[in-house]
Amino acid sequence: MFREKKAPPAPELAEDAPVTAAAVEAVFRGCYDFEARTLHLGGDTENPVTLCFIDGLVSGSDVAEQVIKPLTDPERFAGVRDAAAVSRMLGGSVYVYTAKHREKLGDAAGDLLNGFCALIFDAERAAVTFEVKSQQRRGVEAPKEEKVVKGAKDAFVETMKINSTLVRRKLRNPHLKIKEFTLGTRAETSVTLVYIDGFTNPELVAEASRRVERIHTEGALTSAVIEENIVDNYRSPFPQVISTERSDKFCMNILEGRVGLLVDGLPLGFLVPGTFSQFMKVPEDHSGHFIVASALTLLRYISVALTLLAPAFYVAVAMYHQEMIPTRLLQSMIEAHASVPFSTAMEVILMLLAFELLQEAGIRLPSPIGETVSIIGALIVGQSAVEASVVSPVVVVVIALAGIAGYTMPNLDMGSALRLCRFLLVLAAIALGMFGVAMGCALLVYHLSSLESYGVPYMSPFAGSEGRHLTRALLRRSMTVKRDREPELGTADGGEAKL
Amino acid sequence: MGKNDTVTERQLTVLIFVSLLSPMIRILPSSSVALAGRAAWLSPLAALPAGAALAAFTRFARKNAPEGVGLQDMAQLSLGPVGGRLFGVLFALWLTFYGGFVARSAAERLLATVYPNGSVTVFIVVMFLVALITASGKTKTLSRTAEVLMPVLILVIAVVLLSAIPDVTAEFLLPVTYRDAGKVLYGAAPIFNVLSAFVYFLFLTGHVRRPRGERPRRVNWLALLVATAFGVTFFTLGTLGDKLSVTMENAFFMVIRNLRVLGIVERVEAVVVAVWVVTDFIFLAAILMIVSEIWRTVTGVRRRGAFVPPSAALSCAAAFLITKNAFTLQAWSDFIVPCVNLFAAVILVPAVMGIGKLRRKY
Amino acid sequence: MKKTVLAAAALSLALSLGGCSSGLTILSNYRRIENIELVRTVAADKEADGVNVAVCGTAGEESSARMYENTGKSLGAALGELALLPLGRDAVLSHTENMLIGEELARERLGECLDYIERFSEMRLDTGILIVRDGTARDLLHGLTGEDTPAPDVIAGLSRNIARVGDGYFFTCREIASSLADNGCALVQCVRAQKEEKLFEARGDLNIAPAGFAVVREGGGLDFLSDEETLGAMLLLRKYKSRIVDLPLPEGALTVSVDSAAASIRPRFERDGALDRVEIRLELEANVISVSGEADLEDRTVREAAEAELSRLFRRAAESAVARSQALGLDYLDLESIIHRREPLKAAPALKNWADTFPGLPVEVEAESTLQRTYDIVDPPEDAKEGEDPWEKMIRLLRGS
Repeated sequence: MFREKKAPPAPELAEDAPVTAAAVEAVFRGCYDFEARTLHLGGDTENPVTLCFIDGLVSGSDVAEQVIKPLTDPERFAGVRDAAAVSRMLGGSVYVYTAKHREKLGDAAGDLLNGFCALIFDAERAAVTFEVKSQQRRGVEAPKEEKVVKGAKDAFVETMKINSTLVRRKLRNPHLKIKEFTLGTRAETSVTLVYIDGFTNPELVAEASRRVERIHTEGALTSAVIEENIVDNYRSPFPQVISTERSDKFCMNILEGRVGLLVDGLPLGFLVPGTFSQFMKVPEDHSGHFIVASALTLLRYISVALTLLAPAFYVAVAMYHQEMIPTRLLQSMIEAHASVPFSTAMEVILMLLAFELLQEAGIRLPSPIGETVSIIGALIVGQSAVEASVVSPVVVVVIALAGIAGYTMPNLDMGSALRLCRFLLVLAAIALGMFGVAMGCALLVYHLSSLESYGVPYMSPFAGSEGRHLTRALLRRSMTVKRDREPELGTADGGEAKL
Repeated sequence: MGKNDTVTERQLTVLIFVSLLSPMIRILPSSSVALAGRAAWLSPLAALPAGAALAAFTRFARKNAPEGVGLQDMAQLSLGPVGGRLFGVLFALWLTFYGGFVARSAAERLLATVYPNGSVTVFIVVMFLVALITASGKTKTLSRTAEVLMPVLILVIAVVLLSAIPDVTAEFLLPVTYRDAGKVLYGAAPIFNVLSAFVYFLFLTGHVRRPRGERPRRVNWLALLVATAFGVTFFTLGTLGDKLSVTMENAFFMVIRNLRVLGIVERVEAVVVAVWVVTDFIFLAAILMIVSEIWRTVTGVRRRGAFVPPSAALSCAAAFLITKNAFTLQAWSDFIVPCVNLFAAVILVPAVMGIGKLRRKY
Repeated sequence: MKKTVLAAAALSLALSLGGCSSGLTILSNYRRIENIELVRTVAADKEADGVNVAVCGTAGEESSARMYENTGKSLGAALGELALLPLGRDAVLSHTENMLIGEELARERLGECLDYIERFSEMRLDTGILIVRDGTARDLLHGLTGEDTPAPDVIAGLSRNIARVGDGYFFTCREIASSLADNGCALVQCVRAQKEEKLFEARGDLNIAPAGFAVVREGGGLDFLSDEETLGAMLLLRKYKSRIVDLPLPEGALTVSVDSAAASIRPRFERDGALDRVEIRLELEANVISVSGEADLEDRTVREAAEAELSRLFRRAAESAVARSQALGLDYLDLESIIHRREPLKAAPALKNWADTFPGLPVEVEAESTLQRTYDIVDPPEDAKEGEDPWEKMIRLLRGS
């Protein structure tokens, strides 16, 4: 029924049309939150103007106090009409810090959608818009997904201005540029490119700008819209853009020579180029002692190997290469498995699936319930499964170990990509044992080596970096020692541009 | 070749190192010990000067060659279009066969070590499919893959060799006197044969970009390979003795059969054999890449991708047809392959490069 | 996209070839873990028409050991067909620690057993090889196995202790194969069944005891060494770890633990370069573990007497080991290799005809022993010399040392 009644196409907005009250009202017809009222300048009934705004986007008290009150004051505007009134308003007779003169309907409508109110002069076929944004927005809070132990606790919020302010406060540098783009044919989302002029590789800035401009979307409301459009290989499950809710991490990367992206409406900052080693780092590495930080970084790399290989390795060993298992352990494994009805392969796949289910349930449910589900899943279901001989205890240990190792990944997307590869490696191990694992790993390394992010090899500095700065990826040097900047980023003070 | 598909000198040398680990483990230490007896552990060191001399000559010969010119281009410049193309076709055919030999040897090794009654077909087909995927890609991707895998391989071999120390018996290694010098040199021949296979990679030098300004960082692949050969021969010989080593085709993997690692892993050979398959796969992919590169230059086609699947198919067929059993494969490994390799590396390639140099073609 | 298709094709082909969907795989290694019968000891004996093997398997840590037997034309055939035995379980030989070989089989076909282990990649090269004397390996394996004590555990216990008490050494397949390849002969540890009273019910009917070394020849053949010759061979092959020895003294007796015995073997040449003789020097270090009677260990002469007795015992052991080796004409003590290593250039002419030279080569053995310590017990006790001046005591102790 609905299929037959297609909605009539919305009238095209005549962007360049002159601004009149009727035209603006026509644009926002059917919008219950659109308000238009007639004011008399200086209290003179012969001198009417139309005040328009979108309720909720503007602050009511600001409109009343800072716009309506001075406009209706006879001392200011009595007898002042049209062009003279516009001139006086732009000159500061209205107490609003941002006032714009708009002659095009598109500009005026855009301003209204951005928390401005518009004073329309029909005779002038123009409007003056005042910024009176509503302050009803989420305040700056500590990051929720990226836990902070010892560092700044001001995470990005959904409001671009606040986010750019957070960045500005940390990087007090006149060369810090925040270049704005508008994305989305319908949603018109504001996106800004953040970089340090004269320091960040200009080719990198140009390439990032080009890719942002190239994005064709109706609205950049989710992070994938940005990420998938600006990466080199969107088919790869591995993250190629660093996304963070931590403003300190964002700023540290800008200082490293990366280009940042802030999107209005998303409490995240994006950074390019993103390389594998970057996803292994956390800002805490720069907060703790350098020896401890280095050890933890190494631990994260071991975790990558564990989370990827532990289940596959177990499958290969238990199915094909039992000679590798110490005698006593093999004896206990045989005994434990005797009462389990499933094959090792099926057991591992079932446990991996169960683990993923628990994880997904934990994330989707509200936090107290989610945590309960995780605990119940891990403790009760796992133990019951072993007691009921559905799975053998070693499998639970291996899957749990792989899972826990996966949680040490600082980046969720990286963790997810590794989980996906873990499944594929398990399948390879089931089919071909250790040979399958080796071939699977070789293909995985090949895939990672084929990736590039803005001309920087994804596996740098492990590959494509001439063997330089290998320790940079694995260890953190003391802050008292001169820092070695990533040469691949091609910053003005070092390294080679490779774009 | 695409401008985008360039590698550095270092990346190419890493690719050579990782690739040549595959034939090295195939022939060592048995071939060397058969010739040099208990003095064979010194043979890798004796092979170093000869390998270095050949490497130095090829470096000198292509010193003035313009960027983007590989061995096939040089051959066409040296011998003229017809002679050069004939040279290329000969090499392409030989390498197509050699790829099959490498895959078959790797598959046989898997059977002899950890998959006693497995199917050669499975291993060969899987290896070729994986090599086909990688060879169809860019040279730089394969080189980067080798770069990432190199530390893993070095780590594995270091752990294995260190774990083998308690089993090493001095009686199996000593004495070695000046009277053994001849034997040591004789035993160096198979190792030199492996080292000389680097000349095949000269076909990829057209992809090497010359660094501007900064000094290039090189991996001394020759020294690394010789060190690896030394380690493998020393520990295998020291564990099994010369007479027992000679009787075994995979003596190194035989030594690994006894290794326990920290009581966690009872035997590590499955892991080591599997890790070593990675070198076979890299070598195989590199060979397919080289073959398609030769065909690309010979035919003058812009992209080499189209030549990879037929080369892989032919090579795979060669892997199956080369022999019906491991006995004949051993004969290939002991006589035919080394002879052709030596002829190609020590006579043919230097001759072509020398002619070009004399004719001042580059 | 092409790459994705190729990757998918590779994976699906691998999966189908691997046959994971059907639960079976064409890769022969695949075994369901619950079906594994873990074999830790193999016993092999000669049968009229081939080889009989008995294996002791377990299906888990808690389950009791089970015995399986099979006969085949060869060791490989007999072991290979074990999988067809009752229960339909897979006999896995990868964890075989020791192989017991019956005397007759060892005499005729030991090389074949070693060849099987080397060739069969599932088995380890460091599998211990033991020759069973005065009975069959199968009976020994059966007799050792009790309700709670699987035979492999009993043999493993002997393996741990045998070197410590100086009764022998478990040569591995690798060592034996290597010695056979180098010298044409090798030493193998022998064991025999020992009937003794059960210490607890769950134990098997028999116990296992070391029975010296056997000498095996490359082409077959077997000779046995006496206990003394075995000790000598251990000393010269540096397989010696420790041994407890009773030393009779004029006034009482001494029990010492000989914890170190270093053998140094040197060839001596004549002026014209011909090999004259071989000198073997043993340096022994012993610690007193008990004293009986009135032995005064602070008296140097008493200690010297004990040391001389100890040296005599070990010298005799080494001499008898060398003499037996020469009598058999088999250089299982590896003297050729040692001489070659010591004097590679000088010895070369003599070693050319080693088979002829070796049996008549003069070998001189010297031994020097030192009693190291008495573990803080003063013999005789301090009060025996009550009233002694401290100065005199110091002089007495220095003289004693």
